Amino acid sequence: MANILIAEDDVLINNLIKKNLCLVGHECTQVYDGEQTIKSASAFAYDLLILDVMLPEVSGFEVMAYVKNTPVIFVTAKGKLEDRLKGLRLGADDYIVKPFDIPELIERVNAVLRRTKKDMRFFDFDDVHIDFDSRKVYKSGEDVRLTPKEYDLFETLLRNRNIALSRDKLITLVWSMDYDGDDRTVDIHIRRLRKKLGLEKRLITVYKMGYRLEI
Amino acid sequence: MKLKFWQKTYILVLALFLAGLFAGILSLTVFSYNKSLSEKEETSRAECSYIASSFERDWSSLTEYGRGADITLLMASYGDHYKKQNVFLCFRNEDESVYSSFTDDAPAPGDGKLIYRNTDAGKEIVISVSICGGKYNMVYAKNIEEVIVSFRRLTVLYVSVAAGVSVIVALLLLIILKKLSLPLEKLKRTTELISEGEKGVRADERGHDEFSALAVSFNEMLDKIDGQMAYISKQADEKQMLVDNLAHEIRTPLTTIKGYASYSAASPLDEEERIDALQNIISEAERLSKISEKILDGAYLEHHELTLKAVDLSALLEDTKKRLSYVAEQKQVDIETDLSESTVAGDHELLSILFYNLIENAIKACAEGGKVTLSCRETCAAVEDDGKGMTKEQLSHITEPFYRTDKSRSRAEGGAGLGLTLCRQIVEAHHGKMRFESEPGKGTKISLSFCTPKQD
Repeated sequence: MANILIAEDDVLINNLIKKNLCLVGHECTQVYDGEQTIKSASAFAYDLLILDVMLPEVSGFEVMAYVKNTPVIFVTAKGKLEDRLKGLRLGADDYIVKPFDIPELIERVNAVLRRTKKDMRFFDFDDVHIDFDSRKVYKSGEDVRLTPKEYDLFETLLRNRNIALSRDKLITLVWSMDYDGDDRTVDIHIRRLRKKLGLEKRLITVYKMGYRLEI
Repeated sequence: MKLKFWQKTYILVLALFLAGLFAGILSLTVFSYNKSLSEKEETSRAECSYIASSFERDWSSLTEYGRGADITLLMASYGDHYKKQNVFLCFRNEDESVYSSFTDDAPAPGDGKLIYRNTDAGKEIVISVSICGGKYNMVYAKNIEEVIVSFRRLTVLYVSVAAGVSVIVALLLLIILKKLSLPLEKLKRTTELISEGEKGVRADERGHDEFSALAVSFNEMLDKIDGQMAYISKQADEKQMLVDNLAHEIRTPLTTIKGYASYSAASPLDEEERIDALQNIISEAERLSKISEKILDGAYLEHHELTLKAVDLSALLEDTKKRLSYVAEQKQVDIETDLSESTVAGDHELLSILFYNLIENAIKACAEGGKVTLSCRETCAAVEDDGKGMTKEQLSHITEPFYRTDKSRSRAEGGAGLGLTLCRQIVEAHHGKMRFESEPGKGTKISLSFCTPKQD
């Protein structure tokens, strides 16, 4: 679990990011302008800062100078290439342009956390234990044999837990973009995961959306 | 062959000059040649008649003494004497030659006639006269070769002097014409630089001739074009900025709508959360529609000329106050009025939008229990509030599209950030003036002035 600081002046968007990051198990703190961001970031060593560029008082680009040791993802409506480059040159770890997809945001957050080693290494729920480093899953202490794709699918669902992922999204995230297989591949893998890990109640089918792992 | 203007001028002027010069020299030499010939004729005639009369006198004095004088001796003595002077004489009796100092056969022109003939020694004037009462005929010949020679010398001299002058003139003309066409050449180089994209290049305006006048008007043209270009690029920049801002303004509510929609679709929500998410979606959708409405209004203003009619401002303000009374009551803001009779040239609908926006902004700026004052007099109107006011920095930006003094609050109240931009456009369309006075914490006063309506 990571401690994430969300600096975004639009209350609705700030709340939206917070709600989704909380769903996948992160702790979030919300700030609404540049000065507050600098204050909060220097008071506590957050694992990640999600930073809007157009903040009142002190802009996100200016905030960068004060948050040297915190990984940063810029979130902004300024989608121009020069703005993106400026953000990355200032030392941001990633850049998300509004309007963004929630799964995309979570994926990028997780990617940055993985890179900066602030990511989780183990996860436990019910009697299931997952070791991310060795890519092994244990149920009641017993090693459950998963194929590599089954493991990838399970980890993806776990990292986006409580959020429904469409079959298309799952194919993109697990099988890579240019996978030609149909949606049934996803269904078959989901069925196998349910059976192997006893997830019938947790891994539910969401009408017209896809699948959601509820923890 | 392509010739430059100065080259054409050079060739034409030089050709004309040479033709004139040589025609002049030719006619001069011909004239002087003819003149010296006729002079020679005169002197020859005079000399001839002088010889004839002195011969007759000598002959008659010889015959008076009665000595059996021999006329041929006299003829010979004359012939010898005049031969030294390059004059040849021939005496004939009938057609029989009595004496001749000629080296060849003497010609026989008619009596009293003058002819020219060419001999080995050169040109001769030949005159024949009858003497001794027609008994004898004297042929007089005078070599005039020296006239011809001196004429030839003169011609050669003239031609060589003329050739020299021609060369000098040709050179001078070349230099002068090149120098004269220099401004034209410079102007050409300037235009070339401009067409290569060089900026700020201007033609040389020195001098007082047509070229400098051309350079001056050329530069004026460039200045005008530069001004137009600057104006157009400024407009393009403004448009670009508007588009950038617009993209930003549309993306933000879109992010919210998309985010909350997918949030409620993908996550297990309780009833309260679900309603909250839906309300967020609705309010952001409303904001989007407000933005599009204002943009359309602005676009309408930019592309339509207004027909201004007399509008009663006091009635309009009273009406707008009524329309906003609900908003004011909600915020417990008191709207006071100080309205005198006031008629301006305007479009009723647009002025109503203008004051609606201004008064709505004033109400929003007020704290609860605040006060908004509307006043109008003659062609002026003012909207005043005792709200939070603005700093100078904020004042300088307020009519820019999408500028908000307080972003999060304006959001919460559903502003699009276009209200004052539209107001500015409306005032500009009315050729009016809008002035802001504000102090943080004390309030804001917006003063407007319009034109008087035309009397029909």
